[in-house]
Parts: sequence; structure tokens; C-alpha cells
Amino acid sequence: MKLPLSTIVTIVILAFGALAPFIFGGQPYILYVLTLALCYTIPAIGVNILYGYTGLVSLGHMGFAGVGAYTTALLMKDVGLPFVPSLFGGMFAAGFLGFLVGIPCLRLRSHYFIIVTLAVGMILFTLFNNLDGLTGGAEGLPGIPRPGNIEIGSFVLDFRSLTGFYVLTFIIAALIFGLQYILVRSDFGRSLSSLRQDESLAAARGVNVFGHKLAAFVLSTAIAGVGGAMKVLFLRAAAPLSFDMNESINLMMMLILGGAGYLVGPVIGAITFIALPEFLRVAAEMRLIFFGFVLLILARFAPRGICGAAEVAYRKLTNKEANVVRYT
Amino acid sequence: MRKLLLTTALAAAFMAPAAYADETVTIGIVTAQTGPLAAPGKFQMNGFNLAVDEINGNGGFQVGDTTYMLELKVYDTRCNAAEGASAMQRLATVDQVPIVLGELCSPVAAAEAPIAQDFQVPLVVTVPTASSLTEQGNPYFFRVNANSGQLNEALAAFVETIDSEPLSFIAWNNDTGRGGANGMRELLPEDFEFGYIGFFNVGEVDFANHITNIRNEDSKAIMLLMDEEPGALAIRQIRDAGLDAKLIGTLAMGSNRFLDRLNAEYLNGMVQYSSFPPNAPMERIKNFSDTYREKYGEESHGFAAQSYDGVFVAVEAMKAAGTTTDGAAIRDALAEISVDGVIGTISFDEKGQASPPVYITEWCEDGSRKIIAPEDLAADCGAG
Amino acid sequence: MATAILEQFINGAMMGSIYVLMALGMVLIYGVMHVLNFAHGVLFMVGGYLTHLFFFSWTGSYPLAILGSMVALAAIGIVLERLVFRALRDNLRMQIVSSLGLILIIQNGVVQIWGPHALQMRPTTVETLVKFGQLSFTLQHFVIMGVVAAAVAALYLFLTHTRLGTAMRATSQAPEAAVVVGIDPNRVYTLTFMIACALAGLGGALLGPLFIIFPQMGDAPMLKALSAIVIGGMGSVPGAIVGGLGIGIVESLSTLVIPTDYRDTITFGVLILMLLIRPWGIFGVRVRGED
Repeated sequence: MKLPLSTIVTIVILAFGALAPFIFGGQPYILYVLTLALCYTIPAIGVNILYGYTGLVSLGHMGFAGVGAYTTALLMKDVGLPFVPSLFGGMFAAGFLGFLVGIPCLRLRSHYFIIVTLAVGMILFTLFNNLDGLTGGAEGLPGIPRPGNIEIGSFVLDFRSLTGFYVLTFIIAALIFGLQYILVRSDFGRSLSSLRQDESLAAARGVNVFGHKLAAFVLSTAIAGVGGAMKVLFLRAAAPLSFDMNESINLMMMLILGGAGYLVGPVIGAITFIALPEFLRVAAEMRLIFFGFVLLILARFAPRGICGAAEVAYRKLTNKEANVVRYT
Repeated sequence: MRKLLLTTALAAAFMAPAAYADETVTIGIVTAQTGPLAAPGKFQMNGFNLAVDEINGNGGFQVGDTTYMLELKVYDTRCNAAEGASAMQRLATVDQVPIVLGELCSPVAAAEAPIAQDFQVPLVVTVPTASSLTEQGNPYFFRVNANSGQLNEALAAFVETIDSEPLSFIAWNNDTGRGGANGMRELLPEDFEFGYIGFFNVGEVDFANHITNIRNEDSKAIMLLMDEEPGALAIRQIRDAGLDAKLIGTLAMGSNRFLDRLNAEYLNGMVQYSSFPPNAPMERIKNFSDTYREKYGEESHGFAAQSYDGVFVAVEAMKAAGTTTDGAAIRDALAEISVDGVIGTISFDEKGQASPPVYITEWCEDGSRKIIAPEDLAADCGAG
Repeated sequence: MATAILEQFINGAMMGSIYVLMALGMVLIYGVMHVLNFAHGVLFMVGGYLTHLFFFSWTGSYPLAILGSMVALAAIGIVLERLVFRALRDNLRMQIVSSLGLILIIQNGVVQIWGPHALQMRPTTVETLVKFGQLSFTLQHFVIMGVVAAAVAALYLFLTHTRLGTAMRATSQAPEAAVVVGIDPNRVYTLTFMIACALAGLGGALLGPLFIIFPQMGDAPMLKALSAIVIGGMGSVPGAIVGGLGIGIVESLSTLVIPTDYRDTITFGVLILMLLIRPWGIFGVRVRGED
């Protein structure tokens, strides 16, 4: 059975991720960086659904991640709920907010929609920062608990340990990745792609443009909420600056770097963006200047990111013809 | 006879302490070297470097029979929680330092602290002020500097002694500013009259709006909760607008560098809290100020003093614990230690918080400062 | 109370003039080229730094330093248009990516060269105080308002009474038609970028000495200017002016009634409302089929 390249790549990445605790068992730092990368992969998948497949740019998505993060954190810390209900709480809060924001805003043209998302992100940041009584405000919210242990027979999964939490994050990221996979290959996913390519034509063909956009937006914000929750659970502290405009912009850039519209784009983008600088610990400013140039080059020569460039290379090497309609 | 001489000589040779350092100890530093808070981060770094130079200049420090030189492994956390946590993780497991010092921003310290506990590497912060940091029951977290609760207590005590009602605020909309404003509102009595409370974002420089409103509240005193760069602008704008309310400032506003940004006329009568007044008539403070000025060509900053002390605390802890690698033992030593630092006597309570004196200094007409609190350390113009 | 409102109004108008200057540049670029240039804020900041540089190490004259920085920024504008934006015409998303990349490069580059500490520059216009009874402003405040008014007038005259200006307007209204009548779009786009960047530099040169010059000085004004052009109408010069002044004044007056830590929220709230009710802005033209 001949598998498409994308499926092979996906399987390899998933296998690598699953085996990581064993490969890097003796190097907690690497495991740490991978866990952090996964915490960014999750919202990146959300943005991929929104931008890569539906074509909507959001420059405020980390704001929604923050909503999920603070909700989950407060439910676990102050209310004392266990992990799973708290995570769902965070997910629903972020998704619901996405719903409220999406209804009035999704009918706007692309330029205007981008600016609205920027504004929404900034307002959310202000709320995280100013509502000290609720969120701990600018001083941050320390002491966020880790999920309780799971005991299966004599085997204990301790989420306070790095390995344990990595496994948890990986499972959740894999589930979200699976969700993305199913979505993209479904009729719903195909309709989303048609919206990205030509909205008017899609509408003429009977696609409920607004309904699809709203569903995609809500899904992407809910997923972002999950990502935010995992991030603050990992760091065990929440801070408004973790969810500000810079972070939202970084999230988009990560996705574009990896390759928007590809299933593994967000994964590759997040890992590259997070892991690479950690391993090349040069002076921070040079890092950022370098990344700025990477963005310029990307925009000009490789707008489909690493995955796009890889695909082009693969095509050249194997002399395949381009598929007009593709769902990788 | 010769045998005796030979034996004595050999014995003497074996028992003589090493005249040069055998080894190096690397301690970890987390701070902001880039980003919007790079300026205060520089002062923190200066303090660390000054301490290291001094210790190494004296031939290192001795633990057991070995003399060690000190080295720093510095990571730039840019006031970002994820970067801070990664840096801490790296220091603990890759660089394997025995102790980590520094950090500038409270929420980042909050993310670094749990890792300190996980890997048993004590984290001794020298600048972050959020009170919540020492309320987490983390035995591996220590703080050398006064927290916002302690600072606010000193300020509140002072504010009540002067004619300050209504009291207005202009504050940074971040942990420093909000922490200060909220703290003051909690500590001052119920019936204390507050005027206008104005927040501004880091990077904003136009205080015209705030000043107009403060004037209209007829404020007698204005508290400026920000660092020196916006502080200089705020004061200039306030005085240019003709407001002669009593000004109460933060740490950075009691330095000559601050004076250079303005002039004595603008500052006359202004009061600020300080972790150490550079000209105080105390031996250890004078030495520090002189050395700092020699090396960096300018007056020292409170953050530098706090960080300088942090290094010495770390070294003393290693000496007391008798190890430069066992984090748990060093932590136990830290819990018991008492060090005479530039900022005062440093010893940690059961939450890991030290209680250095919080000075209040006041600017005099001639551009010098005097110390008005704590009372037992008060000093005249020129000694602040 | 009345004096408070008047004083805040003037404060707001002053800050609003700076937003106008930035908004003018952004609206030109958007109107003519349909490029959303987020990097405008850092160009504004570079204007401030260059003014400082020219003032202290080349000429001790403030006006000459301003001129120098405007010329330098115009040159930078030409380079940016040629190297970065020319190839990305019509590709909105990649333009945004590029402008974000530029922000990273320029902002961090400035920190590498000048260091993270803020710079101060105090020409006489900043030191001179102007008093109206209880209210006190510096001469620089009025210089800013005056220069911005002059710039607006000059821009207006340029756009309406010169061939190049008319060519710019033509290109912004109907690019293909403009080509048909013999206008070279490349020349127009380069010129637009030049003027817009020079305006940004002028803004930085005026605002920097009034307060301080630091790497993040253009970030907040850029967002306000962006809000201004959206509220005013994204292709409209009068819209940019009304929007910029409006935001400055509303922000300023709002401090009288709402807690100041929510001041930004007001601006963004108005922005969102405007986009929901009338996305083409106050002066914008609604184009059928595009919303």
C-alpha cells in the first residue's frame, strides 16, 4: 500500500513524540523543551484550522488561550476541581468567547477581521492584567497545581514529574491533532478549504459561509483554550504577558513558518520556533533579528513554510505532477 | 636532626593551604538583558559582576580544603514566564548549577520557583517584589530584597506622618505599579483620603492627562510607582505644570543618575524608598558605592546592591553547607544563614523572605539626600 | 471642572496630532497600495533616534536634524518598497508577515546599536514653557500641532495640485485604469512609501525630544494610528485626521470618568464598534460586494 508522503511524515512524528520520554529519559531539559513546544503546538493547530484551512488571519489568538488558561487554573486552584472537568471548563470558556466574538465579527472583510482580532486580543490582555482580584493581575498567578496522579494497578503516572506531564501533554496534543485530521478530511473540512480559496464561489455553490466560518472560529478558539491551559499547568504559574499581542503574533508566525494548511505544519512550526532557539542560545536580540529575516525570506520565497518548501523539493525529486486539489 | 627537619618540611608542605584556586563554581543567573526591562536588568547584572570580581579578586572562596573561583552562567529571560522556566530547567539539569540568583519580574520568578523545588536547586531572587512569591510554601525559594508588602508598610508609615491627603498615584500598569498601588490602598486606614489613581502602560510617556486630574483633586502628595526613565518625565511634567505636591517615588529615584536627568530644583523635597542610600555613613555601603563607581563610572542602583548581596549570600551558604554541589544542603544552609550585606543584615524567615531595612530618603535643596527613615539610621543632607 | 475638560481636550489634541502624523503615513500606504504596514511604528521610532544622532553628532540645529531624519527615512522607505513590498503586491497575508519581520529586525537592531536605555534630547522648544492661567504646556506642544497642520496642508496641496499627487490618487482609486492612462505604478508606489516613511520620521523627530527616545516608543502610537485610520476610513486622508485627533481627545477625556488602566480598552472598544457598525469608517466609501 503506497502511503502519501504526508501520512508517512505524520506517523514518524507521532512515533517520535510517543517514544520521546524513552529516548530522552536521561535529558530532562530536552523533554522540557519538547513539552513546551507541544503546549504551543496545540493552539497552533487551532490557528491552522482557522488560517491554514479557512483562510482567516487572527492576531489575537493567544488572548483566547489565556481565557482557557486562567479558567482552568482558577477551577483547579481555587475551586478544587480535578483536571478533566477544569480542562473542559477552560475549553468551553474559550470556545464560548470565540462564539460571542465570532458572531458579530466574522462577517467582516479580511483586513477588518485581522484588526478586530488584534483589538480583541489587546482587550483580553488588559483584562488579565487589571482584574487582580480574579487573575492575580500583573504579579501573576503562582501555585497552579498539577493534575492528580493516576494509578493503574501498581503503575503510577505522576504528573508532577516532567515525564508524566510530557505524556499527558502529548496525549492531549495527539487527540487534537487527530481531531484536525478528521476535520480536514471531512466534508466540513473541504467546505472550509473552499472558503479559503474563493468565498463567493463557495457561497454560490451552497456552502453556508457564515456558519462554517463560525464553527471553524469557535473550534480554533476552544483548541487555543486547551493549549493555554496546558501551558500554565506546565509552568505552574500564569502571567498576562504570556498571552499578549507578541505571543499572538508569534503563534501566527510559528504556523506560517511550519506551513499553514498542512496537518503537520503547526507541529513543525512550534517545535522549530520553540526548540531551535533553546538549542542555539545566542544573544536574544540576534535571535530575534535572525527570525525577522527568516520571516522576510519566508514571505517572499516560501509562503507555505517549511512543509511547503519540503513538498516542492519532494515534488522536484520525484517528478510528480502537482495535484490541483489537495488535502494534506 | 636532618631527619627531623625533613619530616617537618614535608609535613608543612602537606598542611599548607592551596595558594591558588583549584576549581571553579558556576552559579546560575536569570535576568532580563533584552526587551523593555533591559535597563533595570543591567543594574542587576552589574551587581552580580561586581560581587564576582571582588570575590575572585580576593583569591576566590574556600569550602573545606578547596578554594573556588566564581563564575556566572547567565540566561536572558526577557520578563517572559516560559523563557524563565526554560532557563531554570536548563540551569538545573544541563548546566547543573548548585544555586540560581536573580530574576527581575515577579511572574517569571513564579514560573521558575517550582522547578527550583523539583530539582533541588535553590533560587534566590534579588529584585521581584510580589508578595505571593513567598506564600507558596516552596522551601527552595528565597528572597533577598524587601517584598511589596514590606515596602508598602514603610511607605504607609511615612505617608501617615506627613500632610498627604488626598494622596494620588501615577503607576505603571504592571506588577511593580499595581502591586504598590493596591498595597498602599490596603495598608492605609479606612478613612484615608485617596485622590486620583492613574495607571499607564510601560512605554507611555505623556502624563498630561494624569497631571490634569491630579491637580483637580488638589492632591497634597503624589506617589510615583515606576522606574527612573518615566519617573524623570513625570516629575518634570508635574513641576512644569506648577503642581507643588509632595512627591513620593521608588527605589531608582534616589540616585545621582536620576538627578542628572532632571536637576535639584525639580527634585527638592521629593521622597523615595531605597534599599540602600549610596552615601550612607556605613563602612560597607561606602565601600560598595566607591567600588561600583570605579568600575561603572556612575552611582549605584538599588538593584545592583541587592544582587551584589545575593552573590555573597550564595557563597556564604556554600561555605556553611560545606559543599558546592549539593543543592539540598545549600538550601538548608540558606535557611539558617545570616549575612551582613550592603542592604542590611540578610537572614531568611520560614517563608524564605529576608527583612532588610527599607530606607526613606529625601532630596535636599543642594542636590544631595538625607535619610529620614528608619529612625535609628537617619542621617543628614549629603549622607543619603 | 470646565478647566479640567478644556485642559484634557488640549492634551488630547496634542497627542492626537502625533497619531494623525502616523495615521497619515499609514493611510497613504494603505489607500494607494492596499498594504497594511505594521512596521510604521518602528520607522517612527527610528526617526526619533536619527534626530538624536543628527542633533548631537552632526548639526546642533533641531530643525536641520528633523530634516535629516525625514530624508533618511524617505530613503529607507524607497529601499523597503523595492526590496520587500514590491514583490508582495496583492498578497495581504505575506505583507503582514513581512512587516512583522521588519519590526523584529528594526527594533532589535536599534537596541543592538544604541543599547536599551532611553535617550534624552532637550532642544529649546521643549524647555520653553507656555502658560495659560493654570494650564501649562511646552512650546513643543504647539510646534507639534503647528507642524502637523502644515504637513496636512502640504499633503493636501500635493495630492490635489501636482501631477504626482494626482497620479497617486488615481492609482488608489483604480490601479488598472491608472496604468491605462500612462501612470507608472512602480513610481507611484515608491513615492507613496517615501512620503509615508518621511511622515513617520517627522513624527518621531517631534515626539522624541518632548519625552524620551526609546525602542518601544512607536508601538502604542502605531496601534492608535491603526485604529484611527480604521475609524476614519481606510483610504481617506481626512478620515485619518479626524480619527487621529478623535482618538487622542477621547482617550484624554476618558481619564476623567473611567479608571485609567482601561484607557486602551476604550480605544479598542470604539474600534470594534466602528468595525461592526460601519466598517468602511466615517469618511470611507462603501464598496459593494466587498463587505
